[in-house]
Order: sequence, then C-alpha cells, then structure tokens
Amino acid sequence: MNKQLLIQQPGGRGKSTARPFSGRTVGRAVMWLFLLITAILTLFPLLMTLSGSLKTGAEMMTGGSLLPAKPQFVNYVEAWKQANFARYTWNSAFVSVMATAGTLLVAAMAAYVVDRRHFPGKSLYVTTQASMMFISVGAIVLRPQFDLMVALNLNTTLWGVILILISAHSSTFFMLIGFFKAIPRELDEAAMVDGSGFIRTFFRVILPLLTPGLGVAGLFAFRHAWNEYILPLVFTMTNPQLQTLTVGLANLRYGSSAAMQIHLMMAGACLSILPMLLAYIVANKSFIQVTAGSVKG
Amino acid sequence: MHFKWKRLGENALFLSPSIILTAALGIYPLLWMLRYMFYDYAGYGDPLFVGLDNFRLLMRDGLFWESVGNTFIYAGGKLLLTLPLSLLLAVILNSKLRGGNLLRGIYFMPTIISTAVISVVFYNIFNSYNGMVNTVLMKLHLISQPIDWLGPKYAMLTVIIVAVWGAVGNYMLLFLAGLQSIPQDLYESAAIDGANAARRFWSITLPMLAPVAQMVIMLAIIASLKGYESIMLITEGGPIGKTEVMYLYLYKLLFPVSTGSPVEQQLGYGSAVGFATAVIVGAITGLYFLLSRKMNKLY
Repeated sequence: MNKQLLIQQPGGRGKSTARPFSGRTVGRAVMWLFLLITAILTLFPLLMTLSGSLKTGAEMMTGGSLLPAKPQFVNYVEAWKQANFARYTWNSAFVSVMATAGTLLVAAMAAYVVDRRHFPGKSLYVTTQASMMFISVGAIVLRPQFDLMVALNLNTTLWGVILILISAHSSTFFMLIGFFKAIPRELDEAAMVDGSGFIRTFFRVILPLLTPGLGVAGLFAFRHAWNEYILPLVFTMTNPQLQTLTVGLANLRYGSSAAMQIHLMMAGACLSILPMLLAYIVANKSFIQVTAGSVKG
Repeated sequence: MHFKWKRLGENALFLSPSIILTAALGIYPLLWMLRYMFYDYAGYGDPLFVGLDNFRLLMRDGLFWESVGNTFIYAGGKLLLTLPLSLLLAVILNSKLRGGNLLRGIYFMPTIISTAVISVVFYNIFNSYNGMVNTVLMKLHLISQPIDWLGPKYAMLTVIIVAVWGAVGNYMLLFLAGLQSIPQDLYESAAIDGANAARRFWSITLPMLAPVAQMVIMLAIIASLKGYESIMLITEGGPIGKTEVMYLYLYKLLFPVSTGSPVEQQLGYGSAVGFATAVIVGAITGLYFLLSRKMNKLY
C-alpha cells in the first residue's frame, strides 16, 4: 500500500501540499475508521451476548445499560442445570463427534479409491457427488429421510441425525481428493510390494499421512454438525431429551416464559458459541486456508 | 482373473458406505419428491394421484409467489450489501497493513458461529422495546425514537442486516484469495508506466479478479436464495408475511413452525413447491452463468 501511494504523489502533489492534512493522511484515516467501525459492528452481537449472559433477568427485561450492573455468573449454572443445557451440550457433542468421524471415514475411503483406481462408473459417481452439493430442494427431503429413519427404528435416537449428516459428505470427499493427490502413489506401491494388502495399506500407511487433510476437513464437518439447526429440530420435535444446543436454545425463544429467560438464552448462546470460538482461535489458519482454497482451484 | 475380482471387491467395499448413504439419504428423497409432487398426500392415509393439480394450485398460490418476490428482495438486498463490502475489505486487507491478520480474523469470525444461535441473539437485540440496538442508537443520538426493527416496515431490512453480518467475512476471504493470486509484478510495471491507484484497480485488479469473482458471486447468489434459517428464528416470515421467503414457506407446508401455530401438512403440494423452488434457483444460477460468461475472459 505504501509503495502504491508514494507513486501516486506526482499527479496529486499540487493539491495535497496546500492543505494541513494531505489527501493521503485523510485517506488513511477514513480507511481505518471504516475498518474499525466494521470490526465493532462484527463484534457487537457477540459482545452483547456475553454482556447479556451476565445480566439479571430484570436487567434484560428493561434494556438499559450495555454492561451488567453486577456480573451474574449464576446464569451459567442455571442454564446448565435448570434450562437443560448440560443435556443439550452432550447431545451436540455426541452428534458432532460421530458425524465428523463418520463423514471423514466414508469420504476418505471413497476418495482413496477414486483417486488411486479406475473402475466402471467412476465418472458417474463423481458427477453424482458434485451435483449433491448443488441441488437444493429445501426441507422437503427431510420428510422421506425421517420416514426412512422411522422404518429403521432410528428416529428415537440421535443416530438418524448422525447418518443424515454423514450422507452429506460430498464436500469433504472433494476436499480429501485434493489431499490424496499430494500423497505419492509410490508409497502405496511400496507398501503393497512389502505384502501389505489394500485395506491394511489404506489404514496403516495412507491414513496417517492424510492426518493434516483429515484435520482441516474434520474442522469443517464438525462446524457444520455443531451449527446445524433444522435437521435436529425436525428429528427431535417429539423427543425433547434428544435436542441439541441450537434446538434447545431456539426453543427457549418460543417458550411461554421466554421474556423472563432472555438472560438464560444469552448464557446458553455463549455456551454453544464457545467451543467453536476456541477451535477458531486455535485453528484460525486452517479455517482461513481451506475457505480460501475453495476458489483458488 | 482372480486379481481383477479382488480389486473390484476392494473398490466396492471402500465405495459402498458412500454409495449407500448417498442413494438412501441423498437421491431417494429427490425421487420421493418427484413422485409425490403428482399426489394429494397429507402425510397420512393413502396418497391420491392428481396429475398436475399441485402445479395448477401453485400457479394460483398468491402466498407462494409473494414469497418468491420476498426471496428476490432478501437475496438482492443481501448481495448488494455483502459483495461490495466484502470486496472493499478484501482490497484493503490485501495491502498488508499492520494488524491486518487480526482484522481478518475478526471479520471472518461470524462464519464459524451457528446461524440459529446468533439469530436468537439478534432477535433479542433488535427487540424494539428493550433491545440493545435501539439503546445504543439512542445513546449515540442517531435516533430519537425506538425503531420497530421487527415491525412490518423494517423487518426485511433487519433480516437482511443479519444475513450480511454472517456473510461478509466469508466472501471477503474468497475475494482475498483471488486478489492474492494476482501477480504482483503487474502492479509494479503499471506503476512505472504512471498508472495511479484507482487506474490500477480498474485496469488490473478488477479484470484479473473477474474469474474468481464470477464463481464467488455465483456461490453468493445460491446461498442468498437458499437462506431461511435466520428468518425462521427472527420473524417466522412475519409480520404479515413481509419476510416470508420461498424456502421458509416450503418448510411451513411440511413442519409446524412454532408451537402456537399448527399448520396443516401438505406433503404432495410441498413436493411441488420444493421442485418449483429448485427450478427457480437453478434458472437464476443458469441465467447468471450465461450473463457472466464474459467475466472469465476479461484479460
């Protein structure tokens, strides 16, 4: 930026030196003001969640000050115990961990075969996976999926939700294909020559080498599962004890005493945001690289 | 021969989990929809074949077409705010200013947060009576009266603001990736030739960014047409249907929204609506692709 702006000078010199602040200083100030305001607006709802989670119910009811008069950490205890957030957190964690592990395994196995071997119907398979990412018919698919889970007796557990989350593994599949391409084929061949079978080679030699790829793909699968709302909502409508954080939190909004519980809602929101936020702070680079990578091609 | 069968068996073993899951939970639901859109089916009892009746009904369904119109307003508003804002942030952050990494981390943060959770938060802070948005705006003396953010006049604007909040960081990052792949020496030689910053932006940045931008905008269009989760939680499509978008309307035909409003299930008609929404989104995407073909060959 500095270099570019310096070179700009010859054209605009006459005007800018006449004023006490040069055009360049004003420009930089405007730019920083814009960046700062955008950052504040981005953080505002999160800060309000945090501050709201520490207010009393009465403080939330009347609105008023930005900060709580006296931080009410008891809100978290209340949300955790009375408002059932311990249950919701466990359900969310269970669904997210299982769905992430399943997605990675299913997608990695398929991606390995597709990257390393030729077989009849390969392009049909790849085309189908690609189109699964783009067809969007909305909530209508939830109904046949639900009926299927009822037929399999899986509608009274969270396994139905988990299986549906795993079935949407096409983006993970394409992400992992990229990582497989980076692992030299000679490695597979060397392992095979040493007498290791196909399955053994995959699990003992290739998967360990795929760890970085599994890590970032897993991060995205986990984020998707953890943040999912409509799917667990529909599946747990008659099973409140199976609700995940997103569903339990949203239901507080519909409850008869919703107005009295805004502080608990905010505490619950904080609880459900926290794990992703920690993951984001730790793995910031991975999130950013993979998102950016999706358009670089 | 034995060897070949063994290979095929291994392939099948490794692919079958993916194929079974995709077939049962990805493709079967689509076929189910394609079948039941020709039936009168409430979800119980015997489905009754009615031919194209559901589509005749759809043509005359004022609520559906209103929701299509609202979808265009919602998606258009979101895109008009999100794309320029995210491009501007990307261009600024691409200039490697001090603190850029921290700012990028902050702007991208909304994309890791659950839409549902943050929508519940937004529902509370946009509340006209005790919400923090009005409190802050009044303290800053930007407004003198509380604004009814969730009322008929501003509800659409509110849900668009929430959508923009969640989307800017994502598209900023995609634009940034595109900007970083532009060779730096282009700028240097242009600078030597005496091109100023604005000129370099118009003559180098924009045309070089065009292929990436074409894809980013397509992703943005699809995402903005599909979004309904946050609207469902903030306004439920109200007040008086002002924020009802087509995917939310579809959802309401299939499942009850809040405990207070029992909606009659119409799976057959819902299938027809689902098919129609997919066709509308597909048509817009295709149209965009045709119109934006030139972006790929700008340089």
